[in-house]
Amino acid sequence: MDDEPTELVQRIRDALADVIDPELGRDVVGLGLIYAIEADEEDTVRITMTTTTAGCPAVGFLVDAVRFAATEVQGVRSVEVRLTYEPRWRPEMMTA
Amino acid sequence: MQGASISRWTMSYFAAALVFLLAGQALLAVGFGYPVKPVEAPETLVIVHLLAVGWLGLLFCGALLQFVPVLVSKPLHAPHLALHALVLLIGGLLLLCCGFIHLAGYVEGGLVLLPIGGLLLATGFTLIAVMIGGTVLQARPVALSARFVGLGLISLLATAGLGLAFALELSGLTDTGWLHALIPGGLSLHAYFGLIGWMSASAFGVSYRLMTMFLLSPEAERTTSRTALALLAAGIAAAAAILLSLALGRETSVAVHLPLGLAAAAALLFGYDVLTIYRTRKRKSLELNTIMSAGAVAALMLSVLLYLTLVLTGRLQDDIGTLVYLVGFGWLSLLGLGQLYKIVAFMTWLEYYGPVLGRRPVPRVQDLVNERRASGWFYLYAAMVAVAVAFLLAGIAFPVQVAALGQAIAAAGLMVELARTRHLCYVSTEPADSKVRRHPPLFLPNPVERS
Repeated sequence: MDDEPTELVQRIRDALADVIDPELGRDVVGLGLIYAIEADEEDTVRITMTTTTAGCPAVGFLVDAVRFAATEVQGVRSVEVRLTYEPRWRPEMMTA
Repeated sequence: MQGASISRWTMSYFAAALVFLLAGQALLAVGFGYPVKPVEAPETLVIVHLLAVGWLGLLFCGALLQFVPVLVSKPLHAPHLALHALVLLIGGLLLLCCGFIHLAGYVEGGLVLLPIGGLLLATGFTLIAVMIGGTVLQARPVALSARFVGLGLISLLATAGLGLAFALELSGLTDTGWLHALIPGGLSLHAYFGLIGWMSASAFGVSYRLMTMFLLSPEAERTTSRTALALLAAGIAAAAAILLSLALGRETSVAVHLPLGLAAAAALLFGYDVLTIYRTRKRKSLELNTIMSAGAVAALMLSVLLYLTLVLTGRLQDDIGTLVYLVGFGWLSLLGLGQLYKIVAFMTWLEYYGPVLGRRPVPRVQDLVNERRASGWFYLYAAMVAVAVAFLLAGIAFPVQVAALGQAIAAAGLMVELARTRHLCYVSTEPADSKVRRHPPLFLPNPVERS
């Protein structure tokens, strides 16, 4: 996770808070599904995320939703979303 | 792979399964077969097969087509076979039941329908085994939950093969000595392979994964779970050995308790694991599906207790119907209905709201159901199963019929709730495809398009 998020990264993080996990009804940031958000000098954004369950049919929709929400943030030129299960998501990763 | 896709025909499997559940319970209620008639009467065989193949079989097949790709994170193998299998299974079951009606003497002749129905069923289940087994084998090493499903598939093929052999024997088309020798002891093995080997093993495997997922419990391959799998596998191997002995004409009366005892031990370990999963969950509030799943596991534990009591009192032979009733309706059906309630809402959400997730506000999966309305039907169903089992033990048939009627009414109420979920009755949010609001497909496939 970013120690000192840039303003752009923070705005992306805020935008992703509108994307919910349909089963748990909580946003993907609060659930701890967003592992990293990185933006380079050309405002190209790379998001590393996971899902609560590997192989779940909602995975594709969640990845699409995160990509779309990040792309809509002003100043973002392009978005790459990387899905990973290393480390596997654990319930402890949720924020209170 | 970015997640399993939606299994196109699963909802059709579920719809057909629910129709067979209603039909089977209605026949029980009017006293068409057991408990008014003996367990082995052809009328009882109609009901048993409507419920075991039509209700539970189609329910499990439909659910596995959706869930096994999730269990192993691989796409479904040969998904185009799903519709072929469904048509074969429904057609085969109807022909088999017609054959039983002929066997009961209501209509002359027609016994040839038994092996034709049996052949269609065996073919349909083989297609299911190809799809599910092919999916499981894509993932190496095979996860523990998927190994339970693999064991279930082996038992499914044994059940279907044995059923076909019995259908051939009962039709009189063959006069084979070893087939004739199989019938008396083989029927209980047919039921064992079906209810325990196929359905309970698969239910154990899927439950380990689903319960952990829905309750947010730590994922772990426990020693107790591995031992449960080994015990079930040993039970199935023992049943296969007994089957071989029967075919060879040897005496096996004592050994028949071995597979049941091994399965009972596996069930106790499974019950312990489920208790651990519930105790260590992060999701404190239980949803209706997880409450009903807990009720189903409690019914499984009661089944083990009843089995032990019947063995110790020497009443197993007389009350085997009661034990099967508790396993079929209390454990498998309550678990199936509970998970169905969740799966239908989840699949409906994926179909109608998945494509617009992140683009506009969407409901939660839980918003697609009304638990207050459904819980009444669930509790009525569970209470009626308890009443039926109590009166079966007492040997009084009429209250069992009334309880079966209560179960049928509860199942019908749940069917209405599932239809209301499919019709998006409990949400006001517009779905991805606005045409869906006007013409929602109830159980036929709906193409999913990403925008």
